[in-house]
Amino acid sequence: MRLRPFIPILLFMLIPLGLLAQDEQELSPVTRTYAITNVNIIQAPGRKIDMGTVIIKDGLIKAVGKGIAIPAEAIVIKADSMYVYAGFIDGMTRAGVTRPKEENRQRPKDPGNPPPDQAGITPYADVRFSINPGDKGLDDLRSVGFTAAQIVPYGNLMPGQAAVILAGGKSADQMVIQGRSSMYSELTGANNVYPATLLGVMATWRDLYRNAVQAKSYDALYASNRSGLERPVSDRNLEAFYPVIDQKMAVIFRSERLLDVNHVLTLKKDLGFSAAIADVKDAWPIIPAIKSAGVKTYLSIDLPEEVKKDDKKKEAAASTPAQQEKEALEKRKMEAIQNYAAQAAAFQKAGVTFGFSTMSAKTKDIPANLRRMIAAGLSEDAALAALTTNPAQLLGLSDRMGTVDNGKMANLVITDKSYFNEKAKVRYVFVDGVMYKMEVKEAKKGDPNAKVELEGSWSTVTESPQGRAEGKLTFKKEGSGYSGKVSGGRLPSPVDLTEVTLDGNALTFKYTMSFGANTVTITGEVTVEGDSFKGTLSFGQNRTTPIEGTKDPKN
Amino acid sequence: MKKIFIAIVAVGFITAGFAQDKGSVLIKNGTVLTVTKGTLTDTDVLIKDGKIAQVGKGIAAPQGVRVIDATGLFVMPGIIDAHSHIALDQINEGTNAITPEVYTGDALNPFQLSIYRALAGGCTVSHALHGSANSIGGQSQTIKHRWGTYDANSLKMEGAPRTIKFALGENPTGHGRRDGTQPQSRMGVEFVIRKAFNEAKEYSAKWDAYNKAKLVKGFRGAPPAYSLRLETLADILSGKIILHCHSYRADEIQMLLKVCKDFGVTRVVFQHTNEGFKVAPEIAAAGAMASVFADWWQYKLEVYYSTAYNATILTRNGVVTSINSDSPDLIRHLYHEAGKTQKYGGLTDDEALALITINPAKQLGVENRIGSIENGKDGDIAIFKNHPLSIYGVPQYTLVDGIVRFDREKDAGDQRIMVDPKQTVDATMYETGHAYDFCMSGTEWLFEEVENNKK
Repeated sequence: MRLRPFIPILLFMLIPLGLLAQDEQELSPVTRTYAITNVNIIQAPGRKIDMGTVIIKDGLIKAVGKGIAIPAEAIVIKADSMYVYAGFIDGMTRAGVTRPKEENRQRPKDPGNPPPDQAGITPYADVRFSINPGDKGLDDLRSVGFTAAQIVPYGNLMPGQAAVILAGGKSADQMVIQGRSSMYSELTGANNVYPATLLGVMATWRDLYRNAVQAKSYDALYASNRSGLERPVSDRNLEAFYPVIDQKMAVIFRSERLLDVNHVLTLKKDLGFSAAIADVKDAWPIIPAIKSAGVKTYLSIDLPEEVKKDDKKKEAAASTPAQQEKEALEKRKMEAIQNYAAQAAAFQKAGVTFGFSTMSAKTKDIPANLRRMIAAGLSEDAALAALTTNPAQLLGLSDRMGTVDNGKMANLVITDKSYFNEKAKVRYVFVDGVMYKMEVKEAKKGDPNAKVELEGSWSTVTESPQGRAEGKLTFKKEGSGYSGKVSGGRLPSPVDLTEVTLDGNALTFKYTMSFGANTVTITGEVTVEGDSFKGTLSFGQNRTTPIEGTKDPKN
Repeated sequence: MKKIFIAIVAVGFITAGFAQDKGSVLIKNGTVLTVTKGTLTDTDVLIKDGKIAQVGKGIAAPQGVRVIDATGLFVMPGIIDAHSHIALDQINEGTNAITPEVYTGDALNPFQLSIYRALAGGCTVSHALHGSANSIGGQSQTIKHRWGTYDANSLKMEGAPRTIKFALGENPTGHGRRDGTQPQSRMGVEFVIRKAFNEAKEYSAKWDAYNKAKLVKGFRGAPPAYSLRLETLADILSGKIILHCHSYRADEIQMLLKVCKDFGVTRVVFQHTNEGFKVAPEIAAAGAMASVFADWWQYKLEVYYSTAYNATILTRNGVVTSINSDSPDLIRHLYHEAGKTQKYGGLTDDEALALITINPAKQLGVENRIGSIENGKDGDIAIFKNHPLSIYGVPQYTLVDGIVRFDREKDAGDQRIMVDPKQTVDATMYETGHAYDFCMSGTEWLFEEVENNKK
């Protein structure tokens, strides 16, 4: 069990001790059968069942429709007027991938001829060896509805093979849907060794690829009759290209900029492999070239920040040439931002089948970004297709994922309103039939008129299977808000609270604990009544422990 | 050079989307400086579908063809720069002494404003050269200034011969002195070039033998190892690639001539060639050419001994000579640079204009396509108010393949094609940095190390 080494350290920390301990003896769910009833089922873009039922059993969708009998053992989710969609599929991300430690490697003796791995050439490497099931990035992805993702390794030029994984699971192996789903490449240079620039990178690509074609053909000749032939020397790097040469595997390139896409199209034309471009941000002017090249396309779900128009400035008419110039430049900037938001619509209009990638996006911005794309002309159906059916098709997983249909994997996302509605919240996510209930952060309905004297020191008590733990919370008024610290019995030193909010008598706060390389963010939600409060501390998914506090008398 | 403030006055009309397009236009009644066929007054030039179709008097405009009235204006072939680094995102792969496998055509950036600025100086074609950080640098690309395209590859002048950059002297020893690898001296530079050529010969011999053996029925055997690097070097030896060599001193020029003679390389153009005036007869005798600055030197020790008469001396000795920019600033007024040869050496108008038109065309192997106003050549034209060699010469229109890519009347402040949505907007913008694309770009760290070691 991965967590075991941390346990002794945790003993000295404040609260989540008991919660982590649960990992060690997690019980199997009572049943793996669920019935989602009275729900608007968006089976696929343009295919909807109003107020139907979805039955999940043993990780699969068992039944979809109206008037379906609910199995006796099912856990029933009364999703009255909610919406259920196929779980979203992320075309490219590094969520769930352990970032390699910075190695302080010696500069090679001849930087013009570094060992392949220092040059960024390890195409044989496999991202499956770097999966971290506990990575917070996966929780984040799930929280906005993603249930599967193509993950790519860290590194630049040819760092290794990608894999499609589920956005959650107990072990790395259990999460993998498909290993070696693509070969990953970024057309960026190594650090001051050859190839250090795009120039060297493009040449390296051509040289390696042609060497691999030659090696593969000689391997075949040798295999056909070995007698009298020199033994081919095995080369992991070249062998990694064989499925690419056979067109059995695509190479997926991080291609944010239009010129990155240009470079990929050039390589594809020169060498003839099957390519995918991912995290594309500004390629709308070259859609015809992308389309005719037939590259798989994943658009970035990231968008440049919107600039709010400053009305006050508008009133003052631009009079000086400098002001006019500034206004003109700002206008072009606004147009550029709008063009980014409209990229997906332009691809839709051109009839390109595209998915999305979250590689460089802030997860929490994703729903808003999708709404901006829709406002800029992308249809809701096309947006949903880009989140579900298209990536399933591009990844060759349509038989298992992408729609809410009988027999598919139980990867689902359930929202309280249509996903693209501004007020929609993700309520449940099913990954491989496992239910994740999302915390809905409705503002605590405390008494808005209650008077709370928060400032000062509070003694806290938490209960967990490991026993009682005592601590202190202190709050201080800072302008219109509060700052605070948590300290306590076994916490080695006080930790700052972040995001302290007091709404009426509903208090929320967060803090982060780190142990080793891992960090855990703990969220407190309590209701204050006079000199005491009650509530919960939570971290991760559905892991909570009660907390109570009483105010210390003033000195 | 200090940073330049570029005041951007208004949003420009963006000319976009006609990459590789060919245009038709009739230029009426100008003074036509053909460069190769003399000067023709009150003459019309008709360009049809990107090619010069007719030069003469009283040509009627075909239906629907735009007419530019060039009355009182001078019509010359588009200016060609045989040494430039504009439109490149990367200039040097300076990590290894020998990198002929790399290719600047892979790093073209059609959005660099320097392309538009070059057009504003009448320059229609430039040689996007690899830098001089290593002895055998990268293959380079002759580009047409098709401003407005989104396709980097459409800047490439289709059919232009392959070229490659070599470098002698101080620049290519930087990485060697830093890393303790070869070369660290002029001797080392010669050695690594000879070694590379020898390896290429062996490589060709191995492949020739293999390809020959393969013709025998029933042959089974392993092919020689493939190397893009050696294959490219072999292509130099077999004359498929024109060699452009960064050089300053007479001794190193002589050295490379000797190396080329030893290996049978005949298509050689010396770049910079500051001491070319000392060895002009030798360069001419070898059939090599020279591309020089008008009057730029003393920026380091090896370029101390120079003269503004260089271009004239080379020309008078029968060397095909061009004047280049190596700079996104100079590329905007190469006509001034050429004009300087009339002050220093008294070249004729046609001789001076040849330095920036037909001669660089020869050096790039495209003299049958561009460099003069003749029937059948590409419709690359610069139209000036006042004679281009005059200090009062001002470009009015610049055409590439018969398409007006610069029109002084429509010149707006903000010519950017792609706009960064995250830019911070100030009233004035710092220049985007393209003024600093130069030979040793991206290798400054090499010299920092060397400097630090000295201390």
